[in-house]
Amino acid sequence: MAFGFKRTIQVKGPDRFIVNLGQQEREVIHNVCQELLAALDEPDPNRNPVLRRLFPVAHTADEDINADYQEMVGADLLQSRREVIARVAATTDQRELDRATLESWMTGLNAIRLVLGTWLDVSEDRPPDLDPEDPTAHSWAIYEFLGVLVGIVVDALAQTA
Amino acid sequence: MTIIGADVAPVEIDEPIIGDAPAIDRPWIVLVWNDPINLMTYVTFVLQKVFGYSQEKAESLMLDVHHKGRAVVSSGSKEKAELDVFRLHEHGLWATMQQD
Repeated sequence: MAFGFKRTIQVKGPDRFIVNLGQQEREVIHNVCQELLAALDEPDPNRNPVLRRLFPVAHTADEDINADYQEMVGADLLQSRREVIARVAATTDQRELDRATLESWMTGLNAIRLVLGTWLDVSEDRPPDLDPEDPTAHSWAIYEFLGVLVGIVVDALAQTA
Repeated sequence: MTIIGADVAPVEIDEPIIGDAPAIDRPWIVLVWNDPINLMTYVTFVLQKVFGYSQEKAESLMLDVHHKGRAVVSSGSKEKAELDVFRLHEHGLWATMQQD
């Protein structure tokens, strides 16, 4: 993803990153954040099958451990998700981000990929060759775009870790 | 006063009751499972950030997850395992805990 000759994210220092995204990309990010926030505000979001990757169980088989874990951290996990996604939504128009905000972008955009990937039933195989008219084509495009962007964000953060 | 080495009459003692007790001492392990969505570089970075692992160690764990389906990423008390699982879940990794 190159916009002109500028890198998508320019590292200016450990706490200063310049985001070179176009208006259209920023709108896409803002819209998917708002959609996820709305889904998280529904009653019992942890029971929504599309959101299941955001509320994982703590044990593969032991239901007592899962119930304890859910009771102990379920509300915190939901609150933490909301805060991260809201922070991304509030900063999608910013050209310059500090490290903490860019880390929110990394975690928040990755959470959106988890939801989209669950809905698209993503597997280890390559993405399917879709007809542009396919009803999932748009979601696949966003999923792929966010994958590239999360990779770029991770690289920028890792460079200055 | 007890004198070391003094002759004392043997005392019968009851065998300690074992059973479930040793289970309490067994450490808990935290596993990260392979999934088709999280990027490899993302998993590596999260393991560095959450546990303070070097890039080499985090990458080696990530490759174990990728090739073997899962890897033990930390261990300790039940409370530590719960916190580790929570922090990994916050980052969207598929993590579980179990007693070793």
